[in-house]
Amino acid sequence: MEMFEYDFMQRAFIAGIIIAVLASVSGTFIVLRRYSMMSETLAHSALVGVAVGLVAGYNPLWMAVIVAVLSAWLIEYLRSSFTLYSDAVLAIMLSGTLAIAVIIVSLGGAFNNSLFSYLFGSILSVSQEDIVTISLFGSISLGLLLTYSKELYFIAYDEEVAKTSGLKVRFLNYLLVSVSAIIIALSIRVVGSLLIGALMVIPTVSALQYRVGFVKTMIVSLLIALFSVACGMVFSYLFSLPSGATIVLCVLVLFIFSLVINKE
Amino acid sequence: MSVDSKSPIFDVKNLSFSTREQDILIDISFKIFHGEYVAIIGPNGGGKTTLIRMLLGLNKPTSGEINIFSKKINKFQEWYKIGYVPQRASLVDTTFPATVQDIVNMGRIAKRKLFSSATKEDKDAVEDAMKKMDIYDLKDKMVGTLSGGQRQRVMIARALASKPEVLILDEPNTGVDINSQRNFYTLLGKLNKQEGITIIFITHDVGVIADDIGRLFTINQKAIICNDPKKMMSCDDMSKLYGVHAHLLHNHKHEH
Ligand SMILES: Nc1ncnc2c1ncn2[C@@H]1O[C@H](COP(=O)(O)OP(=O)(O)OP(=O)(O)O)[C@@H](O)[C@H]1O
Ligand SMILES: [Mg+2]
Repeated sequence: MEMFEYDFMQRAFIAGIIIAVLASVSGTFIVLRRYSMMSETLAHSALVGVAVGLVAGYNPLWMAVIVAVLSAWLIEYLRSSFTLYSDAVLAIMLSGTLAIAVIIVSLGGAFNNSLFSYLFGSILSVSQEDIVTISLFGSISLGLLLTYSKELYFIAYDEEVAKTSGLKVRFLNYLLVSVSAIIIALSIRVVGSLLIGALMVIPTVSALQYRVGFVKTMIVSLLIALFSVACGMVFSYLFSLPSGATIVLCVLVLFIFSLVINKE
Repeated sequence: MSVDSKSPIFDVKNLSFSTREQDILIDISFKIFHGEYVAIIGPNGGGKTTLIRMLLGLNKPTSGEINIFSKKINKFQEWYKIGYVPQRASLVDTTFPATVQDIVNMGRIAKRKLFSSATKEDKDAVEDAMKKMDIYDLKDKMVGTLSGGQRQRVMIARALASKPEVLILDEPNTGVDINSQRNFYTLLGKLNKQEGITIIFITHDVGVIADDIGRLFTINQKAIICNDPKKMMSCDDMSKLYGVHAHLLHNHKHEH
């Protein structure tokens, strides 16, 4: 295939494959934990980091990671301290952070293609430096998730029972949201902040349709994400479309397929 | 099952719990010792669940003190010694991706060291718990596909898998057929007598287990503790005082 002769395509593919793994593994916990809405909100908060990075000339990806993690802590604090209206808090933060990001970028005069690519993803824009950042943070995040996977699974199943059996639920909740925030921030390069939520959530929701145990669900979700990212990037290249959009369309097709073949 | 002089597992002093609107529990004190079998009864909304949630550290008391294994509750670390089956245990999300074995395995997680996979001991404990609850044949089934009663047995097996010293059960038998209930009561009696597991059991079925239980707590805002439920007179009076279960105690007593 001639598309792989281009350096940018090779980089995009490497980044995309890493992100497919990260998004689907963390997505499994996020969905089971009923944090799907949080992933959307974190993706928007990450944009504030991107905006600051673009305007002030720092690495946008690093800034996105920092802002997303801080937002994740704030959300988890609000969720665990005030049980009421937690979805409303997420909705407010989602639009609030997007507004802040747009204003920062507009004032800084950087409202251009560069921000557009962070919204919808772009295979053209993955740099060598991005690959290093994604691999570094990605492997730490994945390591933490896998180390604590059994504990996180237990908490997703029943937070209170997990607590009474002695798990450090508070610590593990913060760990999950921090790691997810990092993964979301890393993903917005390729998938875009408006679309990363879909890549985290839909593969797991599709995998759940097969009604198999935990490990198998995670594997099915991973395969769906890998396949969608690969296909999506090929379509993005062939038709010059934003990669986030083509990836999400592929994952949606697999979701509908999963729904249909598992219908009783 | 006598109340011995050793240090108690639970030592509760002047415990109260109130919400902004109302007092749920007022000035409750009791001790529960190793090897006891305590049944807790009381009307709906009487505060039974609230009481054990405080014992488990899930609700903070408004005032009063709780000691577990001679430690203040906020210093207590060895939670794996306490198995808990909540009231809503069988109402799990049916789409949750878990086989019966996945759930029972959770009972071992808190004991596990980081980076270590399941040991022989873990596997044996899980298998043992499934066999005791008679769900070993179902181990590869998805919990979402089980009946309510089967699901409850899975939840109890999860609690047993951690080999707890204390088992706290909050009405675990709602929706379970009579036969399974009988087996379950027999099993609880066995766990208590043969394995020395301390049992705290919230139930509406106290008559059936009257021969097994050591003490009976009636909870309705306040606690009335009946140290010898077999002397029906005294307990019956207390139950009358609270307007609950007096008939229940009686009826079943005649069957024995
Ligand atoms: N966190 C809370 N906030 C407000 N009210 C509460 C809280 N926890 C419990 N209550 C109230 O306390 C009362 C006792 O509830 P609890 O669940 O302990 O009763 P119960 O004896 O377990 O009843 P049941 O037999 O129905 O299970 C109820 O009126 C309930 O509404
Ligand atoms: Mg209750």
